[in-house]
Amino acid sequence: MTDAMPSPELRPVRSGLLAGPLDNLAALKLAGSRCRACGETTLGTNALCPNCGRDDVAPIPLSDEGHVWTYTVIRYRPPGAYKGPEPFVPFAVGLVELPEGLRVVAPIGGDPEAVRIGMAVRFAPRVRDDGVVEFVYHPAA
Amino acid sequence: MKDVVIIGAGIHPFGRFDKTAEEIGSHAARMALQDAGLAWSDIEASYLSRMYLPATSGARILRKLGGTDMPIVDIEAACASGGAALRQGVLAIRSGECDVVMVLGAEKMPRGFMDPRMIYADWQIEMGLSLNPSYWSMRAMRHMHEYGTTDLQIAKIAYKNHQNSVHNPYAMYRKEFSLEEILGSPLICDPIRRLEICAPDDGAAAVVIASADYARRIGARAPVRIAGCVHTIARYSADFRCPADSMSATVDNDGPTEVTARKAYAQAGLGPEDVDCFEVQDTDAFCELEIYEELQMCPIGEGGRLIDEGVTAITGRHPVNMSGGLISKGEPVGASHLGQVVEIVSQLRGEAGARQVQSARVGLAHVLGAGGNCAITILQN
Repeated sequence: MTDAMPSPELRPVRSGLLAGPLDNLAALKLAGSRCRACGETTLGTNALCPNCGRDDVAPIPLSDEGHVWTYTVIRYRPPGAYKGPEPFVPFAVGLVELPEGLRVVAPIGGDPEAVRIGMAVRFAPRVRDDGVVEFVYHPAA
Repeated sequence: MKDVVIIGAGIHPFGRFDKTAEEIGSHAARMALQDAGLAWSDIEASYLSRMYLPATSGARILRKLGGTDMPIVDIEAACASGGAALRQGVLAIRSGECDVVMVLGAEKMPRGFMDPRMIYADWQIEMGLSLNPSYWSMRAMRHMHEYGTTDLQIAKIAYKNHQNSVHNPYAMYRKEFSLEEILGSPLICDPIRRLEICAPDDGAAAVVIASADYARRIGARAPVRIAGCVHTIARYSADFRCPADSMSATVDNDGPTEVTARKAYAQAGLGPEDVDCFEVQDTDAFCELEIYEELQMCPIGEGGRLIDEGVTAITGRHPVNMSGGLISKGEPVGASHLGQVVEIVSQLRGEAGARQVQSARVGLAHVLGAGGNCAITILQN
């Protein structure tokens, strides 16, 4: 008989990047910041607006739905401490445009050969074996 | 403003060598001194451009030439490091504090994709968002979507640069490839292929620069005027080259090459039509195509037409990367821009052999990289 391995504690891949409690993944969003001065929305929790430099910035959750503005397929294993599947499996990465006026660099799930510019995609958290919560966009179909 | 001229140029071939940075760096520096007809003790300040070499590499390399009490400073600005270092040398002379300065670029780099920890955060590396070519490729995919740029046009740029490299004794790869071989080489990140991309390597290049008065006083052979030397960082969201994690869909600032080019043309009092030859950042073949547009050789979206019409061939109206470009030379980051400058100097002196652009009087060198660092140097005979 073997005991089941205890699940590792969930941690965000980067603090300030995800909005909501990690124990309710269905409600988790990508975190954004909106500048009250210039109106620009940026990725993650930021104290300063990188567009205008002011500090009148409020946190907002980003929309789940977006579309692919551009993409590529990564066909060789990225260097260093990449935590994806081994042996390496090619995957798509893109700039996903969100209604808040922001394009986010993100992996795109599913068949990389099926990704197209303009394709509708949806945000999803992705939990690694080591308990780290990353994010990915899946085709919205 | 004081006129600044290049009075000596030197280079160590770009490639992979069983030599130390001190050996390849001092080789280029001594060659530049010899070309200038000067001794090391004549130099009043030195700047080393490097990214991967350790702290105080400038002193480590240049002290080999003899004891000195001059300032020796290392400069880093990613792929634009060489432009940033050259600009410091130009400013030292324009200020009147120095008459003659050494600007050296040197690098030694491991094979393969560059170490992502140099520019990416841990989370980007863990999620696989740390492959430099993926960012270049996303630009290419968007350009193809908006303007109809084709795989064949991108391959033609790699074809041209490999073809030019055959005549460059300082390039790492000096082999011509057919369009079929280029388009048949493996995709790295769609649409960019192995034979359309540059590799990291080792290399060094150096110039001795001086005030025009000093050059006259010593009777310098074939001085080349630095008409413009500009370094900028991309404005907010103006570049998603890398290591970007996002960009704005609402703010549409001009890109780093467009901004730097405008400033450099203005400083030189010249425009793109005045430039007889260009050396530009072809980290990948698409990057060169985009730079045609951003350096104002053609309207935005028409870069593909330029390569189709042969405009950027050595015999064309706007020859680009006569040296074979980074695709052939490799990119020893710190040495890259100085290597371009040495090529332009040999073009303007009429000493470029089979790579020679006929009656070249004005040349432009351009580098662009991480963080939206961009530098442009315009040289004039």
